[in-house]
Amino acid sequence: MLYTIWLLPLLGAVVLWVLGPQLRERGGILGSAAVGLSFFATLTLYRAAGTTPGVHVPLGSWIGGFTFGLMMDPLSLIWVLVITGVGGLIHVYSIGYMAGDRAVARFFAYMNFFVFAMLTLVLSDNFVGLLVGWGLVGLASYFLIGFWFERPSAVAAARKAFVINVVGDVGLMFAVFVLFSHTGSIAYTDVFARVRDLAPPVLLTACIAIFIGCAAKSAQVPLHTWLPDALEGPTPVSALIHAATMVTAGVYLVARCAPLWDSSSAARELVGTIGAVTALAGAILGIAQWDIKRVLAYSTMSQIGYMIMGVGVGAYEAGVLHFFTHAFFKAQLFLAAGLAIHALAGEQDIRNMGGLARRMPFAFWGMLIGTLSICGVPFFAGFYSKDAVIYGELLDGHPWLYVLGVATAGITAYYMFRMLFIAFFGRDRTQTEHHGEPAHASNVPDWVMQVPVAILMVGTIAAGYLDIGGDNSIWSRFLAPDFAGENLLRTGAPQISDMVSSAVVLVAVVLGFGLAYLRYGAPAALTNAPERLDREARTMPPVLTHGYFVDDLIWALFVRPAQALGMAFGRFLDPVLIDGAVRDTSFLAGVLGWITRRLENGLVRAYAVTIVLGVACFVAYYAFAGIPR
Amino acid sequence: MTPVASVALVNYIGLSALIFLIGVAGVLTRRNPLIMLMAIELMWNAANLAMLAFARAWLNNAGQVFAFLVITVAAAEAAIALAIVLITFRRTKNVDVDEIASLSG
Amino acid sequence: MIAALVIVPILAGFAVLLLPRRAEQTARWIGVAVAVLAFVAAAASYNAADESARWLSRPFSAAFHVGLGHGVSYWIVLLLTLVTACALLAGSPPWAARGGGPAERTFVAHMLLLLGSMVGVFVARDLLLFALFWDLMLIPVFLAMVASRGRAAVTAWRYLIYNVAGGLVLLLATAAFGIVTGSTDVVGAGSAHAAVGGVAFAWIFGGFAFAFLIKTPVWPLHTWMPDTYADLPSPFAAVVSAVQSKAGLYGFIVIGLGLMPAQMRAAASLMIALGVISLFYGALVALTEADMKRVVAYSSLSHLGLILVALFVFAPTGTPDIVALQGAVVYIVAHGLFSAALFLVLGQIEQREETRLLARLGGLGVRNPKLAGGLTIAALATLGLPGLAGFAGELLIITGIYRAGASWLAAVILVPIIIAAAYMLRLLQDVMNGPQRDDLPQRPDLSFVEGLALAPLVIALVVLGVDPGPVANASAAALQSPSGVALSGEHVPR
Repeated sequence: MLYTIWLLPLLGAVVLWVLGPQLRERGGILGSAAVGLSFFATLTLYRAAGTTPGVHVPLGSWIGGFTFGLMMDPLSLIWVLVITGVGGLIHVYSIGYMAGDRAVARFFAYMNFFVFAMLTLVLSDNFVGLLVGWGLVGLASYFLIGFWFERPSAVAAARKAFVINVVGDVGLMFAVFVLFSHTGSIAYTDVFARVRDLAPPVLLTACIAIFIGCAAKSAQVPLHTWLPDALEGPTPVSALIHAATMVTAGVYLVARCAPLWDSSSAARELVGTIGAVTALAGAILGIAQWDIKRVLAYSTMSQIGYMIMGVGVGAYEAGVLHFFTHAFFKAQLFLAAGLAIHALAGEQDIRNMGGLARRMPFAFWGMLIGTLSICGVPFFAGFYSKDAVIYGELLDGHPWLYVLGVATAGITAYYMFRMLFIAFFGRDRTQTEHHGEPAHASNVPDWVMQVPVAILMVGTIAAGYLDIGGDNSIWSRFLAPDFAGENLLRTGAPQISDMVSSAVVLVAVVLGFGLAYLRYGAPAALTNAPERLDREARTMPPVLTHGYFVDDLIWALFVRPAQALGMAFGRFLDPVLIDGAVRDTSFLAGVLGWITRRLENGLVRAYAVTIVLGVACFVAYYAFAGIPR
Repeated sequence: MTPVASVALVNYIGLSALIFLIGVAGVLTRRNPLIMLMAIELMWNAANLAMLAFARAWLNNAGQVFAFLVITVAAAEAAIALAIVLITFRRTKNVDVDEIASLSG
Repeated sequence: MIAALVIVPILAGFAVLLLPRRAEQTARWIGVAVAVLAFVAAAASYNAADESARWLSRPFSAAFHVGLGHGVSYWIVLLLTLVTACALLAGSPPWAARGGGPAERTFVAHMLLLLGSMVGVFVARDLLLFALFWDLMLIPVFLAMVASRGRAAVTAWRYLIYNVAGGLVLLLATAAFGIVTGSTDVVGAGSAHAAVGGVAFAWIFGGFAFAFLIKTPVWPLHTWMPDTYADLPSPFAAVVSAVQSKAGLYGFIVIGLGLMPAQMRAAASLMIALGVISLFYGALVALTEADMKRVVAYSSLSHLGLILVALFVFAPTGTPDIVALQGAVVYIVAHGLFSAALFLVLGQIEQREETRLLARLGGLGVRNPKLAGGLTIAALATLGLPGLAGFAGELLIITGIYRAGASWLAAVILVPIIIAAAYMLRLLQDVMNGPQRDDLPQRPDLSFVEGLALAPLVIALVVLGVDPGPVANASAAALQSPSGVALSGEHVPR
C-alpha cells in the first residue's frame, strides 16, 4: 500500500510526460486522479501509521552500508495527507486554471512529479532517501517556476530558486556524511538511537548542516530571497509548492530530527532565533508589496518562520499543527487570489483591483476566511496553531522570541487586511491591459475551481479544533509516538497562562487590524484611494521594496566574485599564462631548432670535419683517461 | 699468450694510422667526389690493416672475419656512391661537392 | 574473444573504407552493428579468462596479455562500446553531411579505429601493450579533427603533441619499470618489487602520473582540452570526453593503486591539491564560458578533478578508502554517460543552429521539446541531481573522503556542486528557455533515430542512479583482480 501511495503520482507523471501531446486537456483529470487515489490509499493506512513504529517497507541497499526503506509514522502521515489531499484539490483547481494553456499535460506531469518527490521526502526512513526527495522537489519546483519558460523573469526566478535550493541540498548532504560517519547508518532509528554517543561539536555541526538545508528549502533568513520570485510560476504551483508543502519540508526535517535538537541546546537557540527573525522579517516585507501574490509569498515566509520557531525550540506539536493549518489557509488564500487573477486575466497588482468584493463574492469570502485564519482570530484554525507556537516560546524560556512572535502576529494582521482592503473594497480600479500571467480562454465550468476552494474553507476553519484539549487533544495523542519523551525543555516557568497569552496575541492582532482599517479600510481612506496608494508607493523606503538588499548582498558577495574569477581564469590565466607557458616551451624548441639548423649547411666537407673532431675528442679522452678494464 | 709476429705490432698500427690520416686529409681537402671516395677507401683499408694486425697479434680470427666483411661492405658502398655521384652529375652538371648543398638546413 | 574486441573493430574500420562511394548509409549501419556487437560481446565476457600470447623476453618480458575481468575494465569497456554505438547512431559530423568533405565512411572508420584502440587500452594487462594502445588511440581523434579542417586542424596538432608528450613519458616509464622489475605484466611479479619502493619507482610513478594527468586532464595540464572538445565533431567529443579522458584515472587505479600503492600514497597530497584546484577552476570557468561545448569541457575538468581526489583518499592506516574508490568508479561511469549525452545533444543543436555561442542561442524549447528534454536530463545528471548516477558517485566519494578523516576536504568539495548547478542551468536555460528567436534557423525536432541514440545513455543514468551497486561492488573486487594486489585491510563502516 505504501508503494501504491508513493508510486501512483510517479506513474501519473510518466504517463503524462510520454502521452502528453495526445492527452492534452484530459491530462488534468488523469493527474488529479493519480494524486486523489494516492490520498485515498493513505486514508487506509491511517490506523496502522498511528501505532508505534508505524508502517515500514524495506526497499533495498547500496554498498557501503546505505540501506533504504519507506516508513509511515504519524508525522509522515500528516504530511502525506496534506500533500495528497490539499495537493489533489489544487490539481482539480488547476484543471480550470490551466485550461487552454499550450502545455497543460506537461504542467500536470510536473505537478505529479512534484507530489512523487515530496512523498519520497516524507516517506523515506533514512537520510539519503530524504536527500533524494529533497533534491527532486527542488527540481520539480524549478520546472514549475519556469513553466512559462518564454518569460525571462520566470527563467531567472527558476534558476535562482534551484541554485539556492542546491545550497541547502549541499548542507543537508554534509549532515548526512557527518551522521553516517559517526553512527555507521543512515536510517533515522539507528542514527537517533546513537545520538547520545555523538560528541557535542559533531552534533552541533550536523544540526547546523541540516538547518542550512531547512533554511534554503523553507526560505529562512538569509536564504529566503528565492521565494518571492518563485511566484513567477502559475498560481496553483504557488499554492501547492511555495505555500502548502515543499517550503514546509524544513519544518518536517527539524521535527523529524527532534532527537538531535533535543540533545543540543545551542542548535535549538539557533533555529528558534532564525525562525523568529524570519517570521518578523517576512511580515515587515509583506507591508511593502503591491503584487497580491508577493504579499502572500512574504506571509508564507513569515508563517514558516513561526513553524520553524516552534519546532526549533521544541514545541514540535505546535509547529507541526501550524504547518497543518497553514497548508489549508494558505492554499486557500492562493487559490482565492488565483480566482481573482484568473478573472482579471492575469492582473496581480492590488492597486489595479479594488472593489472586487462585489464583483466576485466567492473569491472575497475565500480571501476573508483565509485572512481571519492566518491572523489568528479565535475559532479559525490559525488561532489554535499560532497561539500554541507563540506560547511554546514562553514555555521553553525564550521571552524575547515570544515578544517577536506577538509583534509578528500584529504586523500579519496589518498587512493581510491592508491587502484585503485595497483589493476588495472601494472603487473598481481594474484596467484593460495586463502584464501578468498569460490569459486563457476557458471552457471549463466555474465550479471546477470553486469546489476545491470551498473544501479548503472547511479546513481553514476547522483544522485547529483537533488541538482543543491541551495534552489530551486528538492532535497530541496522535503525534505522541513521534515526540514521546521529547518535549519542551521547560526551563523557564511561564509567568502567564495559556489564556492570558492568547489575549495578548489577540490585542496585537486587533491593533494591526485597526491600523489597517484606518489607513485603507475607513470610508475616508477609500474615497481617494488611487492618490493615496500612489503616494505610498513613491514614499516606500527602498530597504523594504528591495527586501533588505539581501539579494544585492548575495550578488556582491558570491555571484560577482565567482563570475570575476571565472572570467580571470578562462580569459586570462588559461590562454595567457598556462597556455602561454606551453607555447613558450614550443617556441623555445623552435629557437633551438633554428640554432642547430645553422650547423646543417649542406657542405659535405664541413660534416666530415665535425666527424673528425668528434673522433678526435674520443681518442683524446681515452688517451688521457686510459681504457677501463 | 705470446705474439708470434716477426714484425712488431706497433709498426703495423703506425702504418695503419698513417694511411688513415692520409684518407682523412683527402676527404677534408679535395672537392671532387671521386677523389673523396678514393680517400674513404684508404680509410677503410687502414682499418682493415689494423684489424688484421690485431687478429694476427692476438691469434683471434674475428678480426680477419671482420676484414672480409669490411671489404664486401666497401665494395657495395663504392657501387652505391658511384651511382649517386653519376646521378648527381647528370642532374647538376657539376662534380664539386661544395656546390651541391641542397640539404642545407 | 577479448582480443577480438580489439581486433574486429579495427579491421572493420579499415573494411568500411573499402566500401564504394554510394554506400555511405551502409557504412554507418555497419559501424553501429559492430559497436553494438562489441557491447554485447563485452557484456557476455563478464569475468572471462585472460588471454595471453608471447611477445618479448628481453630486455624484460612482455606479453600480448588482455583480460576483461569483472571490475573497472569491464565497466569501462561496456561504457565505451555503448557510447560509441550511440555516437555512431547520433549521426555524422557536419563535414560528412556537407558535400566536399570526407565521406561518412571516413567518419565511421575513424570511430571504429577509436573503439578498437581504446578497448585495447582498457583490456591490456601488460604495461607495454597498454602504452602501445595509449598512443594508438590518439590517431583516430587526430584524423577526425584534421578532417574537419579550419581551426580544428590547428587544435588537432595541439592535441596530438600534448598527448604524445604524455605517451612518450609513459613509454619511458614502462620501459624503466620493465627493466627494474623484469616484467611489464600487470598481474605478474612487478607489484612485489614495486612495493619495496625506492628512488627508481618514485621516478617511474612520476612518469606514469605525468601521462595520466595530461590525459585526464588535470590543472595545469588541461589547456589542450577545451579547444579539443569544442572543435572535435560532437560524436568524437562524446567518446573522448566520456571514455578517453578516463584512461588516466583508470591508469591511476590499475597501475597506481595496483602496482605502486606506496608511491600513490606519497603523492596523495599533491594529487589531491591538483584535483581540488581542477574542481574549482573548471567550475568557475564553466560559469562564464561563452561557448556551450567549452562550458561542458570545463565542467568535465571539474568533475574529473573530483574523481582524482577520490583515488587518493587514504585512511589513516594507509589503505585506500574503499568507499571513495567505489564512488570514483561509479562516477567514472556516470560521467561517461552524462558527458556523452551532453555532447551528443549539443552536437545536434550545433548542427541545427550552426552556432555554439550561448549568447546567440535561446528559446529552442518551444519548437524542439524533445531536444529540450534530452538536454535537460543530461544537464540534470551533470549537476548531480539525486536519483541519477552522478549523485550516487558524488555521495559515495564524499562519504569516503569524510570517513577517511578529511572532514574539511569533504566540506570544501561540496561547494563546486553549487557552482555546477549554476553553470548547468545557465547552459540549459540560455539554449532552451527565453523567448523564441527569429534570427536562428528553424529546424525540426530530434528524429526517432537521434532520440534512440540518447535513450540508452539516459536509461543507464537512471538505472545506475537508483542502484550503483553492481558497478561499485565490482570495482571493489576488481581492485584485486586486474593487478593481483588485494587492497587489504578494507575499512568497513562500523
